[in-house]
Amino acid sequence: MNSAPAIQNSAGASDARKVSVAQILVYELRVRDAMSKPLITAAPGDSLRSIQNLMKARRISGVPITEDEKLLGLISIEDIINALSKAYIDESAEKHMARNVIALRDHFSLVRAVAEFDRHEFGRFPVLDSNDHLVGIITRGDITNCLMHHLERRAEEAVAHEATLVAERSADEKAKRVVVRMHVKSGDFDTAGRLSQRIRQVLRDRGIEPDARRRAAIVAYEAETNIIIHSIGGKITATIYPDRVIIEAVDEGPGIENMDLAMQEGWSTAGPLARSLGFGAGMGLPNIKKCSDRFEIHSELGPGTQLHSEILLRKAGTPS
Amino acid sequence: MKTQSEIKLQSILSAMQAEPLTDETDAVVTGCYISDLLSDVLAHSQPGMLWLTIQTHRNVVSVAATKEIAAVLFTCGRRPEASIIGEAAEEGIVLLTTPLTTYEAAAKLWEAGLRE
Repeated sequence: MNSAPAIQNSAGASDARKVSVAQILVYELRVRDAMSKPLITAAPGDSLRSIQNLMKARRISGVPITEDEKLLGLISIEDIINALSKAYIDESAEKHMARNVIALRDHFSLVRAVAEFDRHEFGRFPVLDSNDHLVGIITRGDITNCLMHHLERRAEEAVAHEATLVAERSADEKAKRVVVRMHVKSGDFDTAGRLSQRIRQVLRDRGIEPDARRRAAIVAYEAETNIIIHSIGGKITATIYPDRVIIEAVDEGPGIENMDLAMQEGWSTAGPLARSLGFGAGMGLPNIKKCSDRFEIHSELGPGTQLHSEILLRKAGTPS
Repeated sequence: MKTQSEIKLQSILSAMQAEPLTDETDAVVTGCYISDLLSDVLAHSQPGMLWLTIQTHRNVVSVAATKEIAAVLFTCGRRPEASIIGEAAEEGIVLLTTPLTTYEAAAKLWEAGLRE
């Protein structure tokens, strides 16, 4: 019975790890990062009409009323509409402003700010610092803008980072060799071709001309299937240098009984399963030899077979 | 009939009664090779060719990719498993199937003017 909750826990943990960038930002960013700062305020003695004009001129919908940086109250656009309809627009802010205004602290996280917006349904909150000084005003729009801005920056950083990585990798690969090693199991027809695929990929990335690329891929494929079909298992190492690919296939036996026959086209010892899959054409080793610029094979009954093939590389478009 | 060294697959699908297995079918093939032996295909096919075979094992895709073969036509109504079709699509290899025998399909290709 213990296993079920354990599975649930691990699923929960992996879900928790899949947090979106936006979610992280909402926790990381503070109210002070999102609030509007060139603060537009009015004094308690200012008329509501002057505040209406201020709102119109600055396209804002709420003005904090302050004295010595202390927040006394807030006049919203709703207050102005009421003042117009009830004809007290020329009276002072002090007389009609909302007092006991709920303010946010500048160090609050944006996630907390969003929660306050949800709870109070206000269009805006004044923002106070730890000295109770009014330092800004924040709307839902400010939060959205701030998130969009930071998401964009993160995305640009990610793209830039990716570009550096690609550049570094290609510089690295040009200078150095790439080694691909693979264990090959006897009878494992289903995985044949992986090494060959990887070699093609590296050579294509390096701009190697198609003929050499294909020859290297053929050698790798034939060497790999030889181990699958004929041996009890082995391994292949492909070392890709800037100017050549060296493919070394070593198996653990049983070895080739008659090398002359094995190198002869059409001669094969492949079993019926391999043959039914299209292997056993008797062309594996001849193909490898034909595709190699240098080819060596050594085999002993018992210990097995070692094959060494080299393919010289040229960049596409360079003269031979 | 004008003969040519390359032919649009799309233009011969109905003649070969071929059904595309991959989404991409507007490939151009530059000749044809017929064999059910993989090493033989590796040795004697040319890149860009159409390969006719009755083999449907995933090694067909590996060989086609290794040799950069453009398309594979499975004859006698054979079709590979879905996962193999997916691998071919990833490698950009077109897969087709036809109820015709290899010989009949080859004859249709010849009639369509593909003579290489």
